[in-house]
Amino acid sequence: MPACRPLKSLGLLLMLVSPPLAAESPFEASRSGAAELINDFWTLVTDVSNRVGIQGRSSASGPRPEPIRPGGPSIDLSDLSQPTLVEGQLRPALDPKGEMRLTIPGGTARRGNYSVGSEENLTGHLLVVDGNADVYGTVRGNLVAVRGDVVVHQGSLVAGDILTLGGEVRDLGGEISGEVRTLKSASLSPAALPQSDSLTPVQTVMRRIAGVLGVFLMLSVLGFGLVIFGRQNLEIVSDTVSHSFGRAFVTGLLGQILLLPTFGMLVVGLILSVAGILLLPFAVALFAMLLVVGVVGGYLAVAHALGETYTRRRMAQGAVIGSANSYRYLLIGLLALASLWAAWSLFGWVPVAGSIMWGAAFFVSWLLGTAGFGAALLSRAGIRENFSGRLFPPEALTDEYLWATPQFGVPAERRPGTRTPTRGL
Amino acid sequence: MKVRVAPLTLGFCVCAAALQAQTMRPFSTFRQLHGETRLTARLEYGAGSLRLEPGRPGELYRMNLSYDEERFLPMSDFDASSRVVFLGLKARGEGGVRVVSRHQLRQAALVSISPRVELNLDLSLGAVDADLELGGLRISELDLKTGASRATIRFSRPNAMRCHRASFSAGAAEVAVLGLANSRCEEIVFEGGVGKVLLDFSGASSTSARVDVKMAVGGITLRLPRAAGVRITMAKFLSSFEPAGLIRRGSGFFSANYNDAERRLEFDLTTSLGDVDVEWVD
Repeated sequence: MPACRPLKSLGLLLMLVSPPLAAESPFEASRSGAAELINDFWTLVTDVSNRVGIQGRSSASGPRPEPIRPGGPSIDLSDLSQPTLVEGQLRPALDPKGEMRLTIPGGTARRGNYSVGSEENLTGHLLVVDGNADVYGTVRGNLVAVRGDVVVHQGSLVAGDILTLGGEVRDLGGEISGEVRTLKSASLSPAALPQSDSLTPVQTVMRRIAGVLGVFLMLSVLGFGLVIFGRQNLEIVSDTVSHSFGRAFVTGLLGQILLLPTFGMLVVGLILSVAGILLLPFAVALFAMLLVVGVVGGYLAVAHALGETYTRRRMAQGAVIGSANSYRYLLIGLLALASLWAAWSLFGWVPVAGSIMWGAAFFVSWLLGTAGFGAALLSRAGIRENFSGRLFPPEALTDEYLWATPQFGVPAERRPGTRTPTRGL
Repeated sequence: MKVRVAPLTLGFCVCAAALQAQTMRPFSTFRQLHGETRLTARLEYGAGSLRLEPGRPGELYRMNLSYDEERFLPMSDFDASSRVVFLGLKARGEGGVRVVSRHQLRQAALVSISPRVELNLDLSLGAVDADLELGGLRISELDLKTGASRATIRFSRPNAMRCHRASFSAGAAEVAVLGLANSRCEEIVFEGGVGKVLLDFSGASSTSARVDVKMAVGGITLRLPRAAGVRITMAKFLSSFEPAGLIRRGSGFFSANYNDAERRLEFDLTTSLGDVDVEWVD
């Protein structure tokens, strides 16, 4: 009966394992009943699995157990309350390509599996890398295991804290005076060693360029949509930026300062007017939407104004430009705005100049964004033309009044469209 | 047309590759019980789901959590001299907690505390979905502050000792405190901003309590045991109150058995906008 063979093997295994387990299980007279039975059974299963685990791990191929020679970076194991900090210190030191050297103040470091014997009394911190730490005796200090487990056997004592990075702590009845922390992750495994903060310069440049390109594409798509569906408004905001840049910037600055108070007043006002509470979610959503429209639309209008100014200057110099329209203006403007960030993307890795370039790009973007936001506010999102330099209505641009021949006794035709534009907000 | 679409597609692919997936990281911590009799536990948890329950007999405390390592740092520090443990998550940097995506709410924490120690529990929760089982613990004092949370606090079993004070402070929250009689707290304070609150005073204990409830905007439901003598005094503005089963005497509302009841619940309610409902349970 081949099917019986696994059962026989399991029974034999249980018989072999049970005597030492019984010796290890602490006897508690207070426990009784079904709960005790279940608890004992669960303890048995856990211990068996732990033993199998230990044997499996011991036989697994790993680095040859050896002490890690001092002389490398200093790793302070006296405070394990911030495991990510310890991990950050260890990460650069655990490069498997070079020879591993570590200095542990007041302690030792080992590589591969390591056991503290039952008669052993180890004083000081202990770091075990790429292996399990089996404690049968006493460790008077903190114990850290990297890419391995800590097994605290019955009768053993760890007088300090325990930290495992990429492993686990298995308490088989030992005493741990301190705190046990387990930070599980693959971030310390060799395959995952390159982290976001350790990218190569080329990777960093590529990532930044991709980011700039993505933002440029997104703004281009939004801008083209704006030209298709709201060209009139875009042009008015754009003209407001061109014609009243200072006024638009001051308005945008004030708008930024008053943004939060206005939002707060809106919310409080709606709450206080009892019926307005129902409108609160819609009002908040509307406020956020208008804000996004104002900022993005304003920024696009600035790009439009930049492109238009550049194109008109080139045409004035005699350049032949096929289609001088809003699409072209937007593209040119966005390219100009993106060029600052593109320069930072390419040369941002240069120590001091990179920071200066980032600051300059940020400042110019903020300046123009503020002006665009202010222009959007001044022109009421491109509805009012007061500050856009469009002082004369289209009919005023006719030259018909020049044709009128003055005749004695007949009053001359008045120039049409003499309305005075309002100046106020 | 294909020629024009290709660069755009390529650009989007490059951008997409630059995006990094959010990584959740498991962290666990525990401490063996070595004869401690008192513990002050301070738990700070910014975002995610949280469950708290009585722990194993041999452990002083344990916390298993899965956290967003890009935004938070795990916190686990025990001061042996003062018997104070700090657990939870703190935000990276000084920018405070930001709730920016649904992924952040996938953080999960399970905290357990020994039922053998006298516990002073201090919880600060942000945008958290919390389920706190405090029944069976030995709570001497409880302080819970929540932000935009949905929290259920349960006392399923009687507190093993008398509790001096339980304080709940909620911002924009939906809070249910169940089995408050089992808490054996002599003073209960609830301060709410906006939201919905259920205070359930059922349970096995006969400890009398003074209850101070302040609520700005939202509904309060008081679930009261019929056996308890109840007195409610109210200060309300634009609020409605249904004093079902209560008799008005002067400025207060009293249950019929107030003078004879072994256990008395004395409420001071202050509400601005919202309803106050009373439910009776056996």
